[in-house]
Amino acid sequence: MPKLDFAPDHGQLRSHVSLRTTPFHPRTGPLSEGQAWRRWAGYVVASSYELSHDREYHAIRNSAALFDVSPLYKYLVTGRDARRLLDHVVTRNVAKAKVGQVLYTPWCDNEGKQIDDGTISVLDEQTFRMTSADPTLRWLHLNSSGLDVQIQDVSDTTAALSLQGPSSREILQLAAERDLSALKYFRLTSAKIRGIPVTISRTGYTGDLGYEVWVDASRAVELWDALIETGTPYGITPAGMLALDVARIEAGLLLIEVDYFSSRHALIEAQKSSPLELGLAWTVATDKERYNGQAALEAERARGPAWRFTGLTVDWDSLELLYATVGLPPRLPTQAWRTSVPVYADGRGGRQVGYATSGGWSPLLKQYLALVHLESQFAKPGTELLMEITVEHRRKAAHARVTPLPFFNPERKRGGA
Amino acid sequence: MKQYDAIIIGGGHNGLVTAAYLARAGKSVLVLERRPRVGGAAVTEEIFPGFKFSMFSYVVSLLRPEIIRDLDLPRHGLHILPLESTVTPMENGNYLAAWADHDETRRELYRHSPRDAEAYDEYGHLMHFMARAVKPILSMVPPDPTSFAPGDLAGLLKLGKHFRGLGAERLHALVKLMTMSSADFLDEWFETDVLKATKSASGIIGTFLGPRSPGTAYVLLHHYMGELDGVFRAWGFAKGGTGAVSEAIASAARGFGAEIRCDAGVSKVMVKSGRAIGVALENGDELRASTIVSSLDPRRTFLQLLEKGDLPDDLIGDIRRFKFRGSSGKVNLALSGLPKFACMPDGGPGGRLHRGAVSISPSLDYVERAYDDAKYGEFSRRPYMDIVFPSMIDPGMAPPGKHVMSIFVQYAPYNQNGGWTDAKREAFGDAVVNTVESFAPGFKSLILHRQVITPLDIEKITGLSEGNIFAGELALHQLFFLRPAPGWAKFTTPVRGFYQAGSGTHPGGGIMGASGRLAAMTILKNGR
Amino acid sequence: MTAKSGEGRRVDVVVIGGDVNGLVAAHYLARAGRRVVVVQERREIASEWETGWVPPQIIRELGLATPRLRIEAPDPWITAPLSGGGGLALSRDVAKSAEAIKRVSPADAAKWPEFCARMHRLAGVLEALYLQPAPDVESRDVGELIRLGRLGMRVRRLGKQTVIDLLRILPMSIAELLDDWFESDALKGVLGALGVWHLKQGPRSGGTAFNFLHHHVGSAVGVFRPPRSNVREVLEGLPGVEVVQGDPPPARVVVSSADPKTAFEPYQAQLDPEFMRAVHNIKARNCVVRGSLGGTPPGAPQCVAPSLDYLERAYDDAKYGRPSANPYVETFGNEIHVQYAATVDSGLESRVAAALGVPAYQVRLQTPNGHLYHGELTLDQILFMRPVPGWSRYRTPVPELYLCGAGTHPGGGIPGAAGRNAAKVILKET
Repeated sequence: MPKLDFAPDHGQLRSHVSLRTTPFHPRTGPLSEGQAWRRWAGYVVASSYELSHDREYHAIRNSAALFDVSPLYKYLVTGRDARRLLDHVVTRNVAKAKVGQVLYTPWCDNEGKQIDDGTISVLDEQTFRMTSADPTLRWLHLNSSGLDVQIQDVSDTTAALSLQGPSSREILQLAAERDLSALKYFRLTSAKIRGIPVTISRTGYTGDLGYEVWVDASRAVELWDALIETGTPYGITPAGMLALDVARIEAGLLLIEVDYFSSRHALIEAQKSSPLELGLAWTVATDKERYNGQAALEAERARGPAWRFTGLTVDWDSLELLYATVGLPPRLPTQAWRTSVPVYADGRGGRQVGYATSGGWSPLLKQYLALVHLESQFAKPGTELLMEITVEHRRKAAHARVTPLPFFNPERKRGGA
Repeated sequence: MKQYDAIIIGGGHNGLVTAAYLARAGKSVLVLERRPRVGGAAVTEEIFPGFKFSMFSYVVSLLRPEIIRDLDLPRHGLHILPLESTVTPMENGNYLAAWADHDETRRELYRHSPRDAEAYDEYGHLMHFMARAVKPILSMVPPDPTSFAPGDLAGLLKLGKHFRGLGAERLHALVKLMTMSSADFLDEWFETDVLKATKSASGIIGTFLGPRSPGTAYVLLHHYMGELDGVFRAWGFAKGGTGAVSEAIASAARGFGAEIRCDAGVSKVMVKSGRAIGVALENGDELRASTIVSSLDPRRTFLQLLEKGDLPDDLIGDIRRFKFRGSSGKVNLALSGLPKFACMPDGGPGGRLHRGAVSISPSLDYVERAYDDAKYGEFSRRPYMDIVFPSMIDPGMAPPGKHVMSIFVQYAPYNQNGGWTDAKREAFGDAVVNTVESFAPGFKSLILHRQVITPLDIEKITGLSEGNIFAGELALHQLFFLRPAPGWAKFTTPVRGFYQAGSGTHPGGGIMGASGRLAAMTILKNGR
Repeated sequence: MTAKSGEGRRVDVVVIGGDVNGLVAAHYLARAGRRVVVVQERREIASEWETGWVPPQIIRELGLATPRLRIEAPDPWITAPLSGGGGLALSRDVAKSAEAIKRVSPADAAKWPEFCARMHRLAGVLEALYLQPAPDVESRDVGELIRLGRLGMRVRRLGKQTVIDLLRILPMSIAELLDDWFESDALKGVLGALGVWHLKQGPRSGGTAFNFLHHHVGSAVGVFRPPRSNVREVLEGLPGVEVVQGDPPPARVVVSSADPKTAFEPYQAQLDPEFMRAVHNIKARNCVVRGSLGGTPPGAPQCVAPSLDYLERAYDDAKYGRPSANPYVETFGNEIHVQYAATVDSGLESRVAAALGVPAYQVRLQTPNGHLYHGELTLDQILFMRPVPGWSRYRTPVPELYLCGAGTHPGGGIPGAAGRNAAKVILKET
């Protein structure tokens, strides 16, 4: 096991505790108007650069938003058995993945309960980059006994930017001086941006056309400058986590610790979920060798999961009516929320059949959206339910309809140029 | 002569807790303390002018929150301040730190081992569960496994149910914690030696065992107990020193009407036809009460306060076999300034080092060797030490700009070869100071005053047999229904009306107060 | 699994490992009508003797009580040199031992009969536990709960003193236990040695009192050394199962008497990593080296462990990864048991020779191949915690694989008990 030394901090942020800043901090630091930072995996990143995140959100859907996603945990898995190890750990079929492919995948414990989710990039036949929300080094090691594989934690030495939005391709093409129209959804390529070696993957957390650019931490600032310079005429906008949160709800993308708990951190069984309960059935491969949780997941698939994770659209008229009774127009939070909110069956005295874990107003769809866990029988698209809402200090229930995810799914996300 | 409902022998924190609960229930209560002040081993004394010391016990870890609430202790001056961090200087000049901030601690661990940084979270997760599993046992009167009485059978059944309710994984972890050495237990999780050393050091406090001795893993749990109670940190200081805890409980007891008399040592419990009727003081006075409670340790409770004829032979044998084996000492220093530790000369970001604990446990072998010395009857030449600077948390403990330094030292065997003498005591003090000096060069020149306390001193001053700070070793065969003796772990004694309430009873250990509280509950229940 | 030697045949059960546990399991299964093949590995020639008590049930049920079976129970069962010259010889006769002890301590001699009786009673409780699968404390099964309850009542019926002794003594160190009873260093050394037998712990370590009792199980009152026998040889000559070398034929059930780490290795890809972590965490730290003594073997077994401190210091070296400077040495016939040493270093043979007072060339030691017990008998590795927590019933997470070796309940030093228990479970479950 290599003893990694910490890369030096990239500029100091004054704080009671010594939190780490990312390699982009020399640029992102001065941009932050309100000094609104939030923690992410032991780093601080911007909540929003401007005092309000509105403009940053619209950049995602209108032009291009630039996010610093360096705090993601990143592991380089190499060696003869690298593919075998990853295939053994995650639910997707890594054995079949082609070089240049990126897989989004969850991974589970032996009981088929989800530990985390992330991506696996196939860099070459024996080199894989895995990203995760939680530290995963130990789990990979535990799974690697007897395998010829090296696992390197490159979280500190690899920086990453996410460029998301309709203009992202044009900006990147200009910056990298090459055509990216052939780069398909969830594929990657290596490239050079102003001489800086990078990996570009067509991935992201917004459900839009977008790319993530992976770079050695030592060249991070140069990369930032190059993209900002190239992108400015196209409306490139540095954006923070608040804007991202709205976009990821529209895209129906899960957030660990918010929409589900890692089975390794759950305090009680009921807090654990399987990928089948989290709307990730498509990631649980049926055509692969043994992997962690396989037996449990196959059994669960056969009997049908008890819970489903899906979308809920709150009925606007119902909302308006609830507010009208107290003499107010509907007032909704300006930011996405992450609290647990009860969802009931429709009808008088309808019992609780689920709960929403994230939600908020979609400025694009002009709809009040929530991501919900529902008992399976209530999860069919179109099912009418009630969601709790607090109107002037009092609990009410607004009508809402089960909506398949994603709420917003533009053609450009997967489409060609 | 006034007839009291209850007389409590010993004004240590457990005795005071019992007194307060009994008084709160409307009983007339008298506490008799041999020393001029209450507190027992939890006292604050101004040993040198201007410098106040928590003489013996120095951190408040486990004081039951229900006691704080029931007795409304903050109103009586109790304020427990968090101990923010632990820094372990290593012999190669490096260090290991655990800071208050989780991200920061993770990063610090990562510096030593990325895998351990992850294991630490999972370990913490498990320990959190285990602490939850053990907690109900701490607040339970132990059933007697040899008895066929319905109450005991029900208690055993409840206990069995509780354990089975834990689920397989946690039950196994509990068995491991109860039986393994802390070094072996930690080996299953971590690879960083200094991390294992520092964690396991907390498992040996107050025992005559080394980190590789089975039975030490259980105490690892104590670190996680506090969190369950919504306490910010598991370890803390009482403002004004640990004496302030005793004072607050005493004040609460007085508030409920209890009478507390100092300089009133008890020589005997008076027994008449198998029933306690009062106590005889050292000055010859006699006082009467229908209930007598001893908060002294089991040896003094049974073998000193009572006559041989009052007790069955096998109990006398069991109490004689009960292990005390004091193994720790204390060095209290008045300093002209803060020492600089070579591993972190600036005291860390914001000078935090001195606001937390400094643990001298640079490696497992280091701590184990310290034990080896004691095993053969010598104090450790290079001891394990837990150092805190109370004046950094509560500036009132020392004159402005000056500091007090509290050094808990292990091992110093009660049965030092050749016995403890003044010269041996000073040699022990020198070993302590010289070891600190090796990690903090120049430290010795800051010392204004030095007080060295051996287990023999602890015994002489507080009365704790063999100077054991827990009033009896916290070893597996001296816990729960075996504390202090099989058949007599329910706070009662063979003498009717005579109860035990000290740390030598279940659950015992530290400034916890649970024994005192459970004893009071038992007395009130029996009195109904 | 590929079959070469067994190509074309089908058997019901393959037993991997031709040691006593493997052979016992194989014979029980064969007697119940299963077609059994034992795959023998290359035999370690450590000893012709099997150390430990062979439960009489096995001898009876498998018909081992032939003239070939020899069970060595020497009398005196141990002799120990005394520092002042002469020796302490402990005999199978309690009164005779007391006479011998009287010469070192009359007080100890007076307590000897009661000590022997108490220990024998406690070992009896273990004996009952050992001849069946470990109690399953997590079970929700009514039958198992009844069995647990019966076990509890049975223990409680032994009387208050036995219950208290059990609770108090099991977690204790052998030093604490012996200090409670005796004053003679020589006597405590001889007895203390059994407490650390095959354990990388010193006599002051908790749980060594249990280890002491474990090795007393099945012995006569007042005998604190396990017997030795040629039971393996007898089993090898017993007809009914086929013993092959090399690759096993395909079978529905595989039973392995190998140590758990080895047994699970071929399966690790299909096992829960948390389970494999538990397997890797099994403590099986080598601390015993065995060998042979040249020349005429001494008449009675000898023990060089003159005091508890001597044992403790021998262990101190081991704690820091060194072989003992002054090891604890014991002989039985011409066999030598040396503790603590994980390997044979250059000076060990001469140190052992010095301890025994024989010329160095007469001592030949061998570095062992793994821990004899496949897992130390510490309190966290017995009963339902053995070999790994939750898998004490011989079955494993691999559906076709069962374990039956010393790494399973009741552990080493009781040859055949695990094999017999495992066979019974397999017969019920497959």
